Amino acid sequence: MGWREASRLAEVAFLEVSVQAIYAFRQGTPVPPTESHLLVRRSRRRVAQSKAIIGALLCFLAFGSALLLRASDAQRALFVPPALPVGLFDAAVLTALVSLVVALLWWTGLQALPTLLTSGVLDVLAPLPLDAADLRRVAAIVYFRLFDVPIAVVLLSVPLAVGWALGLWAGLAILPATLSAVAFALALSLLTGRFFVRRIQGSRGGGGRTIVRWAYLVLWLVPAFGMLGFLTLAPAFFGLLEHLATATLSPASYLVMIAYPFSMAVLPVLAAGGRGAMDLGAFPLSWVATADALYGVLAGVAGIWLCGSVGNVGLLPASVPKGPPEPVGTLDLQRPALAVLTKDLRIASRTPGFAFLILLPLLDALALGLVSVLGTPSPPAARGLAFGAVSAAALLATFFGPAFFALEVLAHSYARTLPLSQRSVVLGKTLLVVGIYLAASLLVLGITLTRVPAGALFSAFVAAELPAVAAGALLELGILYRWGRLRGPPVTNLYAGTFNILLVSLPGLIVVGLPLLAYGVVGLGEMALLGLAELAACAPFALGRGRS
Amino acid sequence: MHPAAPATPELPLVLDGVTIDYGERRAVDRLSLTVRPGEIYGLLGSNGAGKSSTIKAVVGIVRPRAGSIRVFGEETTANPIGVKERIGYVPETSLLYEGLTPREFLEFVAGVRRLDGATAAARMRAYASAFRLGSELEEPIATLSLGTRQKILLIAAFLHQPRLLVLDEPLNGLDPRTVRLVKELLGRYVAQDGRGVLFSTHTMEVAQELCRRIGILDRGVLQGEGTLPELRSRIAQGDATLEEIYLRLTREDEGLAETLRSLEGP
Repeated sequence: MGWREASRLAEVAFLEVSVQAIYAFRQGTPVPPTESHLLVRRSRRRVAQSKAIIGALLCFLAFGSALLLRASDAQRALFVPPALPVGLFDAAVLTALVSLVVALLWWTGLQALPTLLTSGVLDVLAPLPLDAADLRRVAAIVYFRLFDVPIAVVLLSVPLAVGWALGLWAGLAILPATLSAVAFALALSLLTGRFFVRRIQGSRGGGGRTIVRWAYLVLWLVPAFGMLGFLTLAPAFFGLLEHLATATLSPASYLVMIAYPFSMAVLPVLAAGGRGAMDLGAFPLSWVATADALYGVLAGVAGIWLCGSVGNVGLLPASVPKGPPEPVGTLDLQRPALAVLTKDLRIASRTPGFAFLILLPLLDALALGLVSVLGTPSPPAARGLAFGAVSAAALLATFFGPAFFALEVLAHSYARTLPLSQRSVVLGKTLLVVGIYLAASLLVLGITLTRVPAGALFSAFVAAELPAVAAGALLELGILYRWGRLRGPPVTNLYAGTFNILLVSLPGLIVVGLPLLAYGVVGLGEMALLGLAELAACAPFALGRGRS
Repeated sequence: MHPAAPATPELPLVLDGVTIDYGERRAVDRLSLTVRPGEIYGLLGSNGAGKSSTIKAVVGIVRPRAGSIRVFGEETTANPIGVKERIGYVPETSLLYEGLTPREFLEFVAGVRRLDGATAAARMRAYASAFRLGSELEEPIATLSLGTRQKILLIAAFLHQPRLLVLDEPLNGLDPRTVRLVKELLGRYVAQDGRGVLFSTHTMEVAQELCRRIGILDRGVLQGEGTLPELRSRIAQGDATLEEIYLRLTREDEGLAETLRSLEGP
């Protein structure tokens, strides 16, 4: 079988993955009362929409970075220390861009790969009279189809944007960074996907193992957290860059220079303005050149490994836990709303996509808290950072309602036969959203208090925003339930339902954001009152009818 | 629309004129049947006959286009939560929460059903022991075999001792010992407390052995219903097996010999 025939088979396989990504029939979603060809068409369209959204985001990042590169001195002074040379600022912007490309592509893989693995589509092909090489070819094409639009956008938009901002040679000089970013992101997606199947999805139950699973997930997700973490840590990063321009380079400065992707992001700047653009000596530049050569080799190795391993994706053997049999356990029963909450947490602990959502605000809070302490800003600035972290956690929480509702799509056929009311499900998920917000806020509080003794004010701010966070979650879940009653279970898969998540999250963002704006205008008391009013309005909307 | 039948609170299940559509395709057409107290009612039909659609309508997964469903006299649409509390269900496909272990899954089900922890744990241990499940209770469902998943679903169905069991091909994937065990269990279970069982299968032997009355579905329409003697009299053949009755009533025997001959040719 040639590549043409493999592509034809892969097209069918990818269509099946798309349908499973949207409707999750293999995970227990009932078939909607619609003609099957309409379901297929809708699946194609929604997967294309999701790819287009990710592609648009990548394009926005590329040209947004280009605008920063074209900023005037006065505009640049708004973001960075005045002493920072233009060349280093440009390298920092490109570093951020390449980091975000890696993080976003990796995140896409993180969301999509479990769908590919659980779709079982390659298991269906395995018994057919195809030799192993053909099967690997099909698997590889299906895997790359998950990323086709985002990769095409990255490879086109990043060089174009950089070329527009810094000139033709800079546009060409960013190609090594772009290609290596794609190679690293795809390899990391596959690596972590395999890790997921072997170590997390197959993990046994029990309290101790749950903690170990969460620890694994934290380790795994820290790099993917780069999207937010990089932006969060940007002030500290610029501070480090300032040292690069000084005559005496510190060990930390050398680390920054050889760190990926900074060392590669330097290349377009050098191509655009020569060595003078960076204000770096020959010796530091030799470090950069050596690091780039090593990263080039590493990207090549990643690419070769990827091509060799991607054929096995979806054909991995099921992970069977090792060890002696355990005695039959007891049951720890909870009320329905808490049972839903516990179930969601347990599923999330074996599902990286959902775990990512829970850990994202916590990691962000941790990063901001650490910046507020290690960056040694003034106490008012530290307090501002802490309030910013709480606001970020509150706004991020608006994406959790729809995302956790997606858990209800799993085994939906079975769950709908249980005497589980809408009230219990909504309450359970709202508790989870509020719990994540509180955990993130307390994390910031704990870290910030070591530097800023403003515990009472900070706690009041967290408490004042709490009703709005609950109201936002209730509003979103209420919308999703009404949607479900009209059109069957709503599609909120993390990857394939991005469009829907955004539609439902917008009202939530408004509800959560209004009290934050009120704090800036009128004060803490009014902020709390507004949040309580929103909660009073949204609670009956979501909880008013106790039906399943 | 069928006229509403009088309320019969003692009857475990009454379907009256139930019609189910998937888009333009009609899966079940004006189906009426009754499961009586102490009865295992077998729903028999070939693939796509409408058995699973009927069962999904009873347990609330599919909303019928027309007709009514009553469980112990209560309309499923009037009080869905109350009705679901009385039903134990085993689905056709063992699609569960892959990210949970069986123990975690049973904790969730028992919690939602507001069971007492000690009672639920005792029942889980008893059924797990009967089904010879041990370490599997702590392993993720994603890694379990079809038969083990089916056992977990059976435990979940029995956990709250429901008065109506709705079982869609419940013996799929089970080993012979467990099949025997489930058959015995169902026979004893249904004899108590006015309980009823709706049991879907396409295996004639199972239906003949287990079910007191049998309904034969074909392309969404009930072609015949009754005890085995009643069905035999329907085709006027006193010694007919259930398979012969089924093939006659659904007219699937027509052309069977010709089909076999056509397969011998190539």
